[in-house]
Amino acid sequence: MVKIILLVLLFASSLLSANIYETNCIKCHKKIPVSIDKYFYRYLLTYSSENNVKTAMINYMQNPSKKDTVMPNAFISRFGIKKKTTLKESELREAIDFYWEKYKVFGKLK
Amino acid sequence: MLASKSLDTDLLHSEKKTLLRFSALYILLSIVIIWAFSFMYYESQKGLMLQEKKVILQEYSKKLIGELKHLHINFDKTQIYPRSDKFNSAIFDSDQKLIFQTSKTELDLNKILYLKNDTIHLINIPESYYLGAQFIIVKMKDDGMWLKDVTKKIVSFTVLAFIFMLVIGYILLRLFLKPMRDAIHLLDRFIKDTTHELNTPVSTIVTNIEMIDRSSLDKNLVKKINRIDIGAKTISNIYQDLTYLTLGNKIISNDEDLDVAHIILERIDYFKSLADAKRVTLNADIIENSILHIDKAKFSKLLDNLISNAIKYNNIDGFIKITLAKQKIVVEDNGIGIEKENISKMQDRYARFNNSSGGFGIGLNIVSSIAKEYNLKIDINSQIRVGTKVSISW
Ligand code: HEC
Repeated sequence: MVKIILLVLLFASSLLSANIYETNCIKCHKKIPVSIDKYFYRYLLTYSSENNVKTAMINYMQNPSKKDTVMPNAFISRFGIKKKTTLKESELREAIDFYWEKYKVFGKLK
Repeated sequence: MLASKSLDTDLLHSEKKTLLRFSALYILLSIVIIWAFSFMYYESQKGLMLQEKKVILQEYSKKLIGELKHLHINFDKTQIYPRSDKFNSAIFDSDQKLIFQTSKTELDLNKILYLKNDTIHLINIPESYYLGAQFIIVKMKDDGMWLKDVTKKIVSFTVLAFIFMLVIGYILLRLFLKPMRDAIHLLDRFIKDTTHELNTPVSTIVTNIEMIDRSSLDKNLVKKINRIDIGAKTISNIYQDLTYLTLGNKIISNDEDLDVAHIILERIDYFKSLADAKRVTLNADIIENSILHIDKAKFSKLLDNLISNAIKYNNIDGFIKITLAKQKIVVEDNGIGIEKENISKMQDRYARFNNSSGGFGIGLNIVSSIAKEYNLKIDINSQIRVGTKVSISW
């Protein structure tokens, strides 16, 4: 019985965290023709490690600017700079952790 | 006559020690220099080899980066890491966390080109971190050919250099030793010449004093003549010691059966005036008569040295007791004594541990060399301010 409750709780919590990423990031990004994983690999290209990538993303989400973007100029002039995130820092962190887990290179190479 | 190899150029103990220290220092220095040169050569050859391999590894690295770039762009379609049978590789992120490796790799960020575990590593930092890889390492096995070559050269260099250093060292040593040898040689010559010149006058004085009839003389004059007698005998002893040392190995022994007691009494009689002058009592205690097969002059010399030392290093009003027991002579005094650590050194030539009395301090050296020749055993027991006991047994 206890096990089942725990499992349900775990499932619910994972759904919840997935939800922030899905409900916030994906919901908006779906409208843009560039798929969200492209940004991720752009970040990887300049920031390399997990720590650096996440910090840079959080900074950008909280304070998007032309100076800090990883996207090319042509892209920015077409789509403009995104708006500041409406998420709290902890929620943003959770979303980005999810984002990282989804696209990271570690463990995927064969 | 092995013992006293005459005064010719043999070096004294302390000088030998200095020489040994010099040699040790010189050899140590040579080894350090040779080692330093070898090390420098090894390092330079290693550097040369690495530079050679660097060109090849850079080519591999370039190829790998191109493939990683391709993989980065197409990561949604394929995740197969590019491999080659010519080299191994590994990629690390900016936190030095391993992303992927084709063989076990240890990252050493201190250098970009290095040899570790027989493997040559080249670290490349690309402009863009494809797949997040900031450090791209390509590696290939070191075939060790260069090391074999270097080892061979170093071994032959070491051998040659060491021989060269030894030759130089030997020449230097001879150069340094020359003044010392010259000095010893000069001293040797001087002593030989002087002793020769001394012979006649000393003998004349001693025999003529013996011939004076002292009973018919005034008491004051007898005293003076006694003093002359002591002085002449002292010179005569020193003279004999020196002759023994300088000509020692050239004197042919004339061994005969000697009545030891007789000789002892004769020598005591000879030293009587010397002992009297210091108010030292000379006693003989002959427990057993014995016969010894020995050269008379040498045996007398041995006894003379023991007795004269006992007088010389005695106190005023002291006593000397000479005991002849079965196969043993003991000369005992209650003089100033010798320190323990000096006893073994005493048999060295010229060693003299008390500067208050005259003499050349060569006495015990002569005693030990004669004893050695005839297989006599010397035993010295001494205590400071209590006395010395020397026994000769056979
Ligand atoms: C309101 C819509 C919207 C939401 C919500 C949104 N984004 Fe974006 N995002 C954009 C737009 C528009 C761009 C392109 C403009 C730009 O790069 O600034 C962008 C760009 C990005 C970039 C590239 C940034 C750069 O350096 O240019 C990343 C990464 C990114 N989004 C991640 C996220 C994540 C993760 C979330 C969820 C926490 C999220 N976005 C939520 C609209 C949104």
